[in-house]
Amino acid sequence: MRLGRYLQAFSLVALAVLLAVALTYKGLGDLPNPAVRDLALWYLYTTLNPEVPNMTVMSPEAVTAIVWDYRGLDTLFETMVFFLAIVGALAIMRGITLNEGGEGLHIERYGLSLITKTATKLLVPLIIGVSASIALHGHLTPGGGFQGGSAAAVAPLLVLVIFSTYYVVFKLRLSELSMISLRTLGLMGIYMTSFATLILGLVIGVNAYIFQNMPKANAFIGLPPALGGSLISGTLFFFNLFEFFAVAAGFTLVFILLSIPEVKAREVLKGEEHGH
Amino acid sequence: MIEPKLISYLFMAVAGALSLIATYLAVIEKDLVKAVIYSAIQSTAYTILFYLLMAPDIALVYIPVAVGLYPAVVFFLIKKTERFEESG
Amino acid sequence: MRFLKVRNMDINGFLFVFMLSTIMLNLVISLYGVFARPSLIKKIIALTILSDSGNVLAIAVGFRDWPSGWSPSTPPVLNVTSPKASDVVSFARVAVDPLPQALVLTAVVIGLAVMLFLVFLTLQIYRLYGTTDVRKVAKLKG
Repeated sequence: MRLGRYLQAFSLVALAVLLAVALTYKGLGDLPNPAVRDLALWYLYTTLNPEVPNMTVMSPEAVTAIVWDYRGLDTLFETMVFFLAIVGALAIMRGITLNEGGEGLHIERYGLSLITKTATKLLVPLIIGVSASIALHGHLTPGGGFQGGSAAAVAPLLVLVIFSTYYVVFKLRLSELSMISLRTLGLMGIYMTSFATLILGLVIGVNAYIFQNMPKANAFIGLPPALGGSLISGTLFFFNLFEFFAVAAGFTLVFILLSIPEVKAREVLKGEEHGH
Repeated sequence: MIEPKLISYLFMAVAGALSLIATYLAVIEKDLVKAVIYSAIQSTAYTILFYLLMAPDIALVYIPVAVGLYPAVVFFLIKKTERFEESG
Repeated sequence: MRFLKVRNMDINGFLFVFMLSTIMLNLVISLYGVFARPSLIKKIIALTILSDSGNVLAIAVGFRDWPSGWSPSTPPVLNVTSPKASDVVSFARVAVDPLPQALVLTAVVIGLAVMLFLVFLTLQIYRLYGTTDVRKVAKLKG
């Protein structure tokens, strides 16, 4: 036991010293760097540049362009990791629901005081509005589906804490099933958008790729960069929209599961032990 | 004359020092509720860092995640399990 | 004494490197929290700090130094929707690296989702064994 302590302390000190040496001898590059890498210059030059029509993404936001176009497949699989983590949480909480027994309940007696509830009622539409704005302008200004979705998930969390779980499940009808449906809708939208250009190309009969956004040198088809005079950057707008729903619904689902009283969970676990 | 660059970098250094103190307190604190609050302070310092390092996208996603959702989830967990860490 | 002379830095460089070293110390402290503290909840808190410190380090590597004392480097977002060639060139001269930001963006959200899964695992361990202390869980048989 004593030896283990010394080993822990030694390895931590060694890690600190090695990190310091790496920094001193520029193992991480020149910090702070007066220039950026060539790869970064490529992204910066082509993110919105009408002079190179077969290279550009037509989005002034380089981060969203990388997330959903240059490295779009990467983000698709990260969305899948997110999906699997929530499926894992659902599997652990299987059978533990609040779907019945809400008839005789005085929902308005639960939760915090009336002042807090009124303030929350005013605040929640604002949170939803701001997060929708973050998500829908994701291809123009800093923001996007991930940012908007996690900001929107704050609103159901506030309602869960301030009005109680019963209010959310029995009054607002935000059950686990509806959240799973909304989430699946978002994921389906992401998959449909990633195939949109390919289907368009197959219908017209020209070369096209999965996850293609703007026209490329050997595939002259793409989604329109602007709709009715305002820039939507092809697929980026739709990806942000659907990712917003997927992320917000996924987090809301987990919070509803997490706020179910522990008594319910114990009932289910006892039932499993007795073989019911 | 003090240049704006110096002020910006000074804020970065201060935010880094704040995050170091908050991390230390969060790791050694025995009361887990206090540890989560220290962790949220550390996240606030990191948000300032992200903003000053010219990453507004990350600042936007980091505020709701690290100051809102994450402490709330851990508070739910502490409420359902135990609040104090035994000395080890 | 070469060790002390590798960089001749000004006050700004010193402040930036000071910030980087605090982040590295955060990495070390949170790693201590992950493998030496007994409570599983404390391990989750420390793991989050560990991943966030890694994220800050990645963003700092992609950061571009201010071109001069009075003109800042800018976020990787163009502020015109129909740029001329000169706009793009001047944008690429001052903007920071967008690639680490894009990677960290997804890492934050996915990290939270994985953290939620760990929270549910800890909750289940508490339901089954009645404790979140790893030493007590290790002593239990079956």
